[in-house]
Amino acid sequence: MLFLNVWSLLHWYLRPLIKWFLRKTTRLCELQRICYGDKAGAQRTCAVENSLMLSRTRDIKEVVAFLDAVVLERRFIPANFDDILKPSISIIFRIKKINTKLHPSFAPTLKRCLQQIWSYRQLVNEVEELRRVQYDSDNSDHELKLLKLWSLLQPNELLEGRVTKQWQTIGFQGDDPKTDFRGMGLLGLENLLYFATEYPQASTHVLSHSHHPKYGYTFAIVGINLTSMAYYLLKDGSAKTYMFNSKISLPNINLFHRFYCYLFYEFDKMWIESKPENIMEFSIIFKKFDIAIRSQLSDPSTVFRINIEIDNI
Amino acid sequence: MGLLSILKKLRSNSERELRLLLLGLDNAGKTTILKQLASEDVTQVTPTAGFNIKSVLSNGFKLNVWDIGGQRKIRPYWRNYFENTDILIYVVDCSDHHRLEETSYELAELLQDEKLRGVPLLVYANKQDLASALPSSEVAQHLGLHLIRDRTWQIQACVATDGTGVKEGMEWVCKNMPIKK
Repeated sequence: MLFLNVWSLLHWYLRPLIKWFLRKTTRLCELQRICYGDKAGAQRTCAVENSLMLSRTRDIKEVVAFLDAVVLERRFIPANFDDILKPSISIIFRIKKINTKLHPSFAPTLKRCLQQIWSYRQLVNEVEELRRVQYDSDNSDHELKLLKLWSLLQPNELLEGRVTKQWQTIGFQGDDPKTDFRGMGLLGLENLLYFATEYPQASTHVLSHSHHPKYGYTFAIVGINLTSMAYYLLKDGSAKTYMFNSKISLPNINLFHRFYCYLFYEFDKMWIESKPENIMEFSIIFKKFDIAIRSQLSDPSTVFRINIEIDNI
Repeated sequence: MGLLSILKKLRSNSERELRLLLLGLDNAGKTTILKQLASEDVTQVTPTAGFNIKSVLSNGFKLNVWDIGGQRKIRPYWRNYFENTDILIYVVDCSDHHRLEETSYELAELLQDEKLRGVPLLVYANKQDLASALPSSEVAQHLGLHLIRDRTWQIQACVATDGTGVKEGMEWVCKNMPIKK
C-alpha cells in the first residue's frame, strides 16, 4: 500500500518530466507516440483515453468536458462527428504544436480514437437507461417484444395464453415472465430478443442445450444473469477490449447486444463442458466463467468471435 | 457471575457463527433482503439460478446467509441446505395474492421436515409498500403461524427494496439464537 502511494506520488511529479524528455528526443507529443506506436484497437484507444484523462492542460480538460457534455445530451452520433470532433482536434493540434502537413495520418487516427472513447461513454448511459426501464405488462410495446421472443424461440408452438406454464420451456421461472426481469429491466428482454433475432441458429442451439435431460438449465433466467454480467463489464470498462477491437462498428447498443450473445454462447459451452450435477452449480460455474472472461478482456489484443460455423459441421 | 465468566461469554459470543437459511417463492425478495443485509446495492438484482451466500457481521455474530433460488424447479434442492441451519427465514411477497396458498404449502412442508425441527422461524412479510399488499397479521393467519407449537417464530413486516423492517427482523434473530455449546 505504502509502495503504491509513493509510486503514484512519484508518478505525478515524474510524468511531466518523462513526457518532456520524450518530446524533446522524439519530437512527438505523447498522443502522437501512442497513435504511431500502439496497435490500433483497444491498446491504442485506451492509451489515448488515459493520456487525455491525465492531462493537466486546461484546454485539453475543456475538450474532455465538452465531449462528456455532448454524450450526456446523446448527441454523439456519426452524423454529428465532424461538427463535434473537428474543433476538438484542432485545439489538440494547436496546444501540442503539431504541424498538420508533416503529420497527415495523425488527425484521422486520433479522430477514430475519440469516436471510440466517447461512443463507449454514450453507450454506458444508454444501457443504463434501458436497464432502469422496468418491464411493464401494461405497456403494449413491452408485451409485443415478449411475445416476439416466444415466437422466435418456439416457432412451432403457439402460446395458449399470456399467462401460462409454457413460458418455462424457454426458461422463465413461473407462468408470467413479467416478474423475472427484475433489476435488469428492459435490457434483459432486449438482449434475449437480439440473440433470438440475429443469431437464430446459435440461440436455438443454446436453447436445446438448456433442455438437456441431465445438464439442462433455465434459458431465460441464465440469460438475464448474463445481461447483468455484460452490464457490469461495460460499466467498469472491462468491455472496452471487446468494443474497441471490434471491426463491425463503433460502440453502440447493437455491439453491446453482440457482446451479450458472445457471452451466452460461450457460457453455454462452458456449462455443458463442466457436466454439472444440477442447476445448483450455476453460481460456481457462473463465477468461473466471469473470471475467465475478465482474464481474456484484460489482454488488449484479444479479439472475440462466435465460432458458430464449427458447431454446425 | 465473575468477571472472567462474563469475558468468556462475550468472547464466545463474538466468535459465534450462525447459519441462516433464506427461503420463499421466486420473486418474494430473498436476494434483495440478502443484499440489504450486506449493505449492497439492491437495484440490480437478477433471478437466482442456484444460490447466493454472504457473510454478514451483526451484533457480534457472524451470520452466514444462504439465499436459495425460489423457482419451482429449484425447490426440490432446498433440502440439501437444511443441515445445521440455526434460523430459518421465510420471505413472502404479500402482494402476490394468487400464490398465497402455494407459499403456505411450501412453508408447511419446511416445518414438517425432520432436519429443521425446532429451528426458530422468522417470516418477512415483504413488499408492504405496495397498495395491494396484505398486512402482516393477515399473512400470518394465512400461513397458520399461530398453530406452530414446536418452535419460536416471528413475523416482520418489511420493504426489502428500501430496507424498512429488515433490521428489526435481524434483531429478533440475534435475540432468539438457539443455545449452542
